[in-house]
Amino acid sequence: MSAAERVQKVGRFVAERFPVEKFSFHSLFQKKEVPIHRMSWAYYMGGLALFFFMIQLGTGLMLLFYYQPTVSDAHASVEYITTQVSGGGLIRNLHTWASSAMIFCVLAHIITTFAMKAFEKPREVTWITGVVLLLLTFGFGFTGYLLPWHQIAVNATKVGLQSIEEAGRYLPGALAEVPAQVRVLIQGEAAVGQATLSRFFALHVVVLPLLVFATLGLHVLLVQLHGMSQGVDRPTKKSERFFPLFVLKDFSLWGFVFLVVFVVALCLPFESFFSFPLFQPFDALGSTPEGIKPEWYFFFVYYPLELLPFWLVMLGQGVVVAGLFLTPWIFSGTSRKTLSIIAGAAAFYLVVITVFGQDIYQFFKGE
Amino acid sequence: MLNVFLFAGLPYIALVTLVGGTIYRYRSNRFSYSALSSQFLEKKTLLWGSVPWHLGVFILLIGHLIPIFLPGLWRSLMVNQAFLLLVESAGIAAAILCLFGLSVALVRRLTVAKVQAVTSPMDLVVLGLLLFQVLLGLGVAMAHRWGAVWSTQTTTPYLWSLLLLQPNLDLVANLPPMVRLHLVSAFVLVLLVPFSRLVHMFSVPLAYLWRAPQIVIWNNPRRFREVPVVRQFVESRRYFLRGAFGLTAGGTLLTAGVMDKAVSFFRGPAMSPEEQAALLRKRLQRLEMTAEERELELERLRNNYIFVANLKELQPQAGKYFIDYQMRPALAFRTEDGLPLLISAKCTHLGCTVASAVDANKQLLCPCHMSYFDLHSGAPSPGSPALAPLPRLGWALMDAQGKLLLKEGPHGRREGEFNVAQLEECGVFICKEYEENA
Repeated sequence: MSAAERVQKVGRFVAERFPVEKFSFHSLFQKKEVPIHRMSWAYYMGGLALFFFMIQLGTGLMLLFYYQPTVSDAHASVEYITTQVSGGGLIRNLHTWASSAMIFCVLAHIITTFAMKAFEKPREVTWITGVVLLLLTFGFGFTGYLLPWHQIAVNATKVGLQSIEEAGRYLPGALAEVPAQVRVLIQGEAAVGQATLSRFFALHVVVLPLLVFATLGLHVLLVQLHGMSQGVDRPTKKSERFFPLFVLKDFSLWGFVFLVVFVVALCLPFESFFSFPLFQPFDALGSTPEGIKPEWYFFFVYYPLELLPFWLVMLGQGVVVAGLFLTPWIFSGTSRKTLSIIAGAAAFYLVVITVFGQDIYQFFKGE
Repeated sequence: MLNVFLFAGLPYIALVTLVGGTIYRYRSNRFSYSALSSQFLEKKTLLWGSVPWHLGVFILLIGHLIPIFLPGLWRSLMVNQAFLLLVESAGIAAAILCLFGLSVALVRRLTVAKVQAVTSPMDLVVLGLLLFQVLLGLGVAMAHRWGAVWSTQTTTPYLWSLLLLQPNLDLVANLPPMVRLHLVSAFVLVLLVPFSRLVHMFSVPLAYLWRAPQIVIWNNPRRFREVPVVRQFVESRRYFLRGAFGLTAGGTLLTAGVMDKAVSFFRGPAMSPEEQAALLRKRLQRLEMTAEERELELERLRNNYIFVANLKELQPQAGKYFIDYQMRPALAFRTEDGLPLLISAKCTHLGCTVASAVDANKQLLCPCHMSYFDLHSGAPSPGSPALAPLPRLGWALMDAQGKLLLKEGPHGRREGEFNVAQLEECGVFICKEYEENA
């Protein structure tokens, strides 16, 4: 193949994924149709995740007015927000609840889009940006968890970062030292301390949001450009207009969901599910309290790490992430029925390990 | 109790019934939303009943509403004595007009056979109650003069307290019984509005005044074709208006609520100086804690020996806490032979800190899950949740000049010599070399 042909091929690839002729209000909004079939509910998942992200932006910015990212002040400032600032407890609760809701929606979104084969040509780039957004969302969860600087936050972060270092045991020779150095690079110092807090804070409030803006912008633009995927193997003829009908339905769902999250945040502090000493300020010299666990959305990797050999989990994780990135090419010929089964199995695993993880752990460890 | 019911409970029941009941009646049975006319059956007497009554009650209504809704204006008008006199006499005249009209209407209802046929019990109740109410009002005007003035200080604020949902019964507690009865009877009348012909006050056919004298309804093929379209258009416009209204109302409420919270959020708390001082002190403490931690870490990074305690301070029964090279808690004892014993205090079960007291069995207790550890070997007693022993720590003894006398590794290997006399002056240290070997 000559160089010119290669350039042409690349040009064609890009042109198919980014059809410039569709960059018009008419094409992006007025012409777009949303198919109606038994999986139609899944078309709302992405919008819902976007809505929760917007809540996170709003409440996060509000928290930023009072939060202080230093080891000595972080916990005190969070306490100040919850107990002194008018409506501060509500805002903080809303931020924690909506973060969990956002991760839930993102996971539901990726599972349903997988089952609906929404990654099919020409939507590969949409899918890949989606996977990147998933990883970024987990990054938000991990970095945000440390910021209150209470016992569970710091200790869970330590455990999380420890697992990076453990990868060193499976690397040969001089490479064995690399993971430990990576860990120190992330932490900024020998132990989780001020440098770690500063880094996580910067990541959580500046770096990750900027990355999300860029990726999300591309993601949403591509969704509008290509329209909704057909979603089922045998599409029904029925569809509804995206604008204004579907948008209105989207908005009313958002309104309802906001009401629910708001009421929950008003009545139920997120912390009420954990025992009290976990929320005391982190004390390096004191003993580690019981029940240090990551947030529920990391259970799917936390419990396997506790139960299975480390290398197996790491290998599995690597395979899954690589598989997610390559999904558009791996599953290009698979029928939606098969994809649904795979997606169902993944959803089943996530639900079971998240809900019954502790019981499974105790069953195998016999405690 | 009765007082509370009559002057706080009853008005609210009446108001809610009025609003809910009239709306319900309008929606469920729209054609009943008026007074059933009996003009067709008898109209000579009706003229002498209806016209004076409606004229009088209209004047009275205005005379009651202005002091309620514009009390300031009313009071400033009443300062003028001539005007007060005019208002009072106009009121009494209107009341007499009403009385006359009502009496005629009542007699007509009770005597004319045709009208009796369409009269419901409720009509008679309403008529009687109105008569009673007007008589009471007239009585109040005669017995307690200048009501136009005193009402602005008593009943007007009372009605306002009801409207603002903060009923103040003190305002009506000391009023003469006749006035109170007038109020109660008014509440009952309001209560009866949705169930009686009184609703017609909301359906006054004012549109008759400017509508076309005739309304012509015609049907032709063109019209026939257009009607469904027109109707659909009208319906969709109604839905749109309703939706827009709902959205606007909801949006306004939401904005108000969010602004209420957001503004006070950004304004921040108004802390008392004491609270501010306490907060600053807390932050200072945390900062000191962090600095202390960091100093300990640095000390452990730089020094090969860390001072734990003077040997003579250590006791066999109660340990002294210190921080080992790994920044974990540990305990120091002095055994019977006079030498130190250093053991980790981090429970091997879940990392709680072990208590410092030694019990009668020479065991240490972890209070979290009741693990007992032997002081000398560190081994957990059978049945303890902890399975691994607490590790022993190596130590070194140095005299006051910093000369190393004796060392013991974590596994009990000793180096150096000592005599008992020197021991009292010695300090106990932990050594980096043992940490690295461990």
